[in-house]
Amino acid sequence: MLTVSVKWQKELFSNVEIDTSQTPYVFKCQLYDLTGVPPERQKIMVKGGLLKDDADWSTVGVKQGQKLMMMGTADEIVKAPEKGPLFAEDLPEEELVVNVGHSAGLINLGNTCYMNSTIQCLHLVPELKSALIKYPPPVRSNAVDQSSHLLAVTTRDLFNELDRNVKPVAPMRFLSALRSKYPQFAQLQNGLYMQQDAEECWSQLLFTLSSCLKSSGSSEDAAADTVKRLFGIDLVSRVHCAESGEESTESESVYSLKCHISQEVNHLHEGLRHGLKSELEKASPSLGRSAIYVKDSRINDLPRYLTIQFVRFFWKRETNQKAKILRKVNYPLELDVLDFCSDDLRKRLEVPRRILRDEEGKKFGLKTKQNNSASTDIDVKMSDAEGPSNVTGNSSESAAGEEKEKHLTGIYDLVAVLTHKGRSADSGHYVAWVKQENGKWIQFDDDNPILQREEDITKLSGGGDWHMAYICMYKARDVSI
Amino acid sequence: MAPAEPNSGGAGATKDQASVKVPSKDPKKKDEKKDEDLSEEDLALKQQLELYVERVQDSDPGLQKVALESMRQEIRTSTSSMTSVPKPLKFLRPHYGTLQAHYEKMAESDLKKLLADILSVLALTMSPEGERASLKYRLLGSDGDIGSWGHEYVRNLAGEISQEYAKRQSEEAPIDDLMELVVQIVAFHMKHNAEPEAVDLLMEVEDLDLLVEHVDSANYKRTCLYLTSSAKYLPGPDDMLVLDIAHTIYMKFEEYPRALQIALYLDNMQYVKQLFTTCNDIQKKRQFCFILARQGITFELDEEMCAEDEERESLQEIINNTKLSEGYLTLARDIEVMEPKSPEDIYKAHLIDGRGSGGGTVDSARQNLAATFVNAFVNAGFGQDKLMTVPSEASSGSSSTSWLFKNKEHGKASAAASLGMILLWDVDSGLAQLDKYFHSTDTHVISGALLGVGIVNCGVKNDCDPALALLAEYVDKEDSSIRIGAIMGLGLAYAGSQNEQIRSKLMPLLGDGKSSLDVIAFTAISLGLVYVGSCNEEVAQAIIFALMDRSEAELGEPLTRFLSLGLGLLYLGKQESVEATAEVSKTFNEKIRKHCDMTLLSCAYAGTGNVLKVQHFLGQCAQHLEKGETFQGPAVLGIAMVAMAEELGLDMAIRSLEHLLQYGEQNIRKAVPLALGLLCISNPKVNVMDTLSRLSHDADTEVAMAAIISLGLIGAGTNNARIAGMLRNLSSYYYKDASLLFCVRIAQGLVHLGKGLMTLSPYHSERFLMSPTALAGLVTLLHACLDMKAIILGKYHYVLYFLVLAMQPRMLLTVDENLKPLSVPVRVGQAVDVVGQAGRPKTITGFQTHSTPVLLSAGDRAELATEKYIPLSPILEGFVILKENPDYREDN
Repeated sequence: MLTVSVKWQKELFSNVEIDTSQTPYVFKCQLYDLTGVPPERQKIMVKGGLLKDDADWSTVGVKQGQKLMMMGTADEIVKAPEKGPLFAEDLPEEELVVNVGHSAGLINLGNTCYMNSTIQCLHLVPELKSALIKYPPPVRSNAVDQSSHLLAVTTRDLFNELDRNVKPVAPMRFLSALRSKYPQFAQLQNGLYMQQDAEECWSQLLFTLSSCLKSSGSSEDAAADTVKRLFGIDLVSRVHCAESGEESTESESVYSLKCHISQEVNHLHEGLRHGLKSELEKASPSLGRSAIYVKDSRINDLPRYLTIQFVRFFWKRETNQKAKILRKVNYPLELDVLDFCSDDLRKRLEVPRRILRDEEGKKFGLKTKQNNSASTDIDVKMSDAEGPSNVTGNSSESAAGEEKEKHLTGIYDLVAVLTHKGRSADSGHYVAWVKQENGKWIQFDDDNPILQREEDITKLSGGGDWHMAYICMYKARDVSI
Repeated sequence: MAPAEPNSGGAGATKDQASVKVPSKDPKKKDEKKDEDLSEEDLALKQQLELYVERVQDSDPGLQKVALESMRQEIRTSTSSMTSVPKPLKFLRPHYGTLQAHYEKMAESDLKKLLADILSVLALTMSPEGERASLKYRLLGSDGDIGSWGHEYVRNLAGEISQEYAKRQSEEAPIDDLMELVVQIVAFHMKHNAEPEAVDLLMEVEDLDLLVEHVDSANYKRTCLYLTSSAKYLPGPDDMLVLDIAHTIYMKFEEYPRALQIALYLDNMQYVKQLFTTCNDIQKKRQFCFILARQGITFELDEEMCAEDEERESLQEIINNTKLSEGYLTLARDIEVMEPKSPEDIYKAHLIDGRGSGGGTVDSARQNLAATFVNAFVNAGFGQDKLMTVPSEASSGSSSTSWLFKNKEHGKASAAASLGMILLWDVDSGLAQLDKYFHSTDTHVISGALLGVGIVNCGVKNDCDPALALLAEYVDKEDSSIRIGAIMGLGLAYAGSQNEQIRSKLMPLLGDGKSSLDVIAFTAISLGLVYVGSCNEEVAQAIIFALMDRSEAELGEPLTRFLSLGLGLLYLGKQESVEATAEVSKTFNEKIRKHCDMTLLSCAYAGTGNVLKVQHFLGQCAQHLEKGETFQGPAVLGIAMVAMAEELGLDMAIRSLEHLLQYGEQNIRKAVPLALGLLCISNPKVNVMDTLSRLSHDADTEVAMAAIISLGLIGAGTNNARIAGMLRNLSSYYYKDASLLFCVRIAQGLVHLGKGLMTLSPYHSERFLMSPTALAGLVTLLHACLDMKAIILGKYHYVLYFLVLAMQPRMLLTVDENLKPLSVPVRVGQAVDVVGQAGRPKTITGFQTHSTPVLLSAGDRAELATEKYIPLSPILEGFVILKENPDYREDN
């Protein structure tokens, strides 16, 4: 009979007796009484290892009064959860997109950053995506030539691919379709494809998509022209001749507003005003000679997505290239175009604007109690969050459901900026800065998407050699009535 | 050698002045001119001296004697003061030649000796460089009291003796007469606060033993301080000799803690034993035990060292570090950092504007693994955290389990092992909490549990040897991840113990043809750790054979390098002892030959400050390599390992590494940040921080990763706000690159190691002693970092736990004679180098007064701000026992 002390965790059981004639299992049962640890879970350290259940006490070499250490708990045994957690590393790529929070970049295929940035900006428009998904329609009209059709199809495919991938996508097929439709984009210089003007790419692409999508829908319904509904701006112009006092009205539809840059222009507003007022020389029927006419345009109908082009490039004869105006022109994150609207449109906007003001005022009023400064910011986001779902519903619905429809307010939020860095349109680098659905800004520098801060977006206004805005895309803030 | 010669200022100037004047003008002319400027008193003296010179040449011995004695009198009275130009010397200058000539003519007599004395003094300013005339006449002279001629004379004589000694050594001429003089000079210096000069002279004449007779209680401290700090700059074996003398002196004056330090530096266990047998004070012995525990060596007390069983047991417990956990928690409670921190508290993502982590909804296994490590490092030793430990009342579906299984495959091993890190040093509760994992069916979890047992026991010994008992049987299991867990666990738990049982358990694995390469690699490392710095032949043989058995393909694997590192660790800091093995390594396959050679050399000279070896490594780095050679990585690390010994060499190494960065190729550049990390471990020097910050944006990913990890290393356990900010920015900069982000996270965890209460520095005790196990742990990690992708970013991330070997609380905890914490005021400030300074200089600067326990940063030193207690160790670091001062009076 031996007496030992047993240490278990922080406890010490002294004077535990060992009956050396019995197996150690009996001893373990003794300890079970003391600690509540079942014998099979007990680990008792003796010299040279663990005490075995069937060991012989004489060989173990336990001495009188020795301190033994026991390890073991009556705790629950760790079990793996039945369903293991899902790791980002194991996810298929499509699901990873949701996780990453932005879509893929586009690989530069040799001076194609103008195209990549254009695609990234247009890719942001969900309505365009959903319209393209329905393309081509089961019944194809022959109004569209083969190359335009191909371009529309490849655009659709490319948009899909961007949504599905995390890794950069190579837009090979789209590029060849673009070049076959518009051979000017396939110009070579020193055996390499030349850099091109992104604005040209933008407008040509929109033009093609417009013609394809128009013809796809029921051609008699004007509202089915998706591209026009999304981007088209109706202008009414009063053409006035100061000399003769002649006056006429014209109306036209454009896809973008021009922001002219001159000495006096420091802000987008001023540039737009300039862009809407132009002088032209034409034959005056009353004077019988050519005279100076002033064309003063007003917006008569607003699009869902307002595109504004900064006229930064002008043809410089001496250098034979499109030179760039580096002047700094500020642009806001929130744009109100009411000043440029025709009286007719203003009247139409009146009610929705009031409702919007009330809604925001209400939110603001509530917010003031908690947080004053952040409230406006949140408003923008909240209305954004509502935006996409409503708008997509909108595009699927026909124009018939007029009452439920969202109404434009003339207030727009910045959602994409296409910038240029460099000294002329045919050189330098184009980059797209796009606001994602989750409110984060991503700079798509070809294959490399980089997270950016909102305050850095307004810093792209020019005045140096940094990236400067060339095309801005604003999204309408609307209200439901 | 003496860094400061406080007394030399005035005297040196005197001498210069005198010797400059000589060649400038004809002495006669000058004298005439001078005569006019002289004051009456001086003129009288001058004439008097001239008269003496004349009389000396007189034929009458009586007159000669009177003249000589008066002359001596004049000289002595003037040289006794060191502040002014000794005038008699100046006036006698023109007559030096005359007197010299007369001396030659004189017959042997006492008078001749008297003249020799005077000539010896005059030669001080007159004799041309290298003639050692002063010494010559001194030896011919009357052997009178050497000090009577003044301090400057003695100093000059000492200088001439060392020259003469060197000359005679080369000619093998007898030196007895010189040594007689040396004895006189040493005695004089030691009496006159010029210990450095005495030590320098004795070093020159290679007879330091003489010193022991001359030290007394007033000057032994300064003497020993000078001896120990000069030892760093001496070539072997002189340095050992010098330290030996210092030890003897400390023993003589019963300055036992210092003697123990030196014994540990010399790695001389005989001295340690002697100390225990000599000293009879139990409190002092306890303090010795605390010092031994900090060094992390295994030491068994026997009856001779402590007769009483109970006392011996309590002392052994201190050596076994069982008090460490308790002391650390006392510190933590005092500083109020017990609250567990989650990885998010460390990342501080809210401070990074704009760019979040992407806001993913799905967990990333890589990032969860990083969080596991961060959690382990930050909460190390606290016994509680927010991921792994669960409050006992928590119901089923406990968070511990869920977090464990939020890691993927081998990640679970690191997660399970992290519990060991959280319960570091607390063996009892650690083992209890790890127990549940032993019953898991998942091999990775078991592997992690085994590793966790090793981590919990790291640096702490227990008579029951729980780690050995638990781990031993798993070493031979089928599954290689379980085996690695057990092997690495044993290595960590028994590092430095030279435990025979471990050896017999592990050595067979090396030769086993069935073991996979990773098992063999980790076995080699574990054996290297257990036998660190032991030069054990058998283990070395086993590793060498294992290396030779590797196939060509296996030799190319990054893990194979662990084999040569394991071999190197056996010789850590043992200098020449490595040579035989290094010779054998030359026969290895050429793929590994040079790599092995560099590793062995760098380990053997680690912490020696050997400049020649640093140059050797730099030379290796200058070579341009054929592709595939890897030896330059260990060579760059070698520079850091050798140079980290002392501050001067360290700064020089930092500069050299800067050059390597500019001119080196990729394989060198990626090792440079790691070398910097080792040099400044837990010591965030601003210049190094800037360099690493720059490199962390390097175009080469491997350089950037190494720099990021090193930022963590230099800031380890400091909570340094600047590094934390840098890393936060890096985390947003690299948010897309999973590998780099992982490195950033690890570095963030390291900076907040133990919530800022720990250090990774292997140096302690005022940077005098180096813990070999700590260095071994660091070096192993750094070698693993040389191939980040294959090891840390692969499935061997648990090598990060090798850092546990170097983890120590950076605290000063004062305890009373019953080892209960005792709060006293202390001043903590930057340590000042007071070596060779006269008087009682301040040892710290810019201090603040705190009450213990306190944290000590790199380069800090503490001193008691009260006279009420006497510390039993002169070095206020770690555990210090305070004794009440019997002479203390409370003043009102």
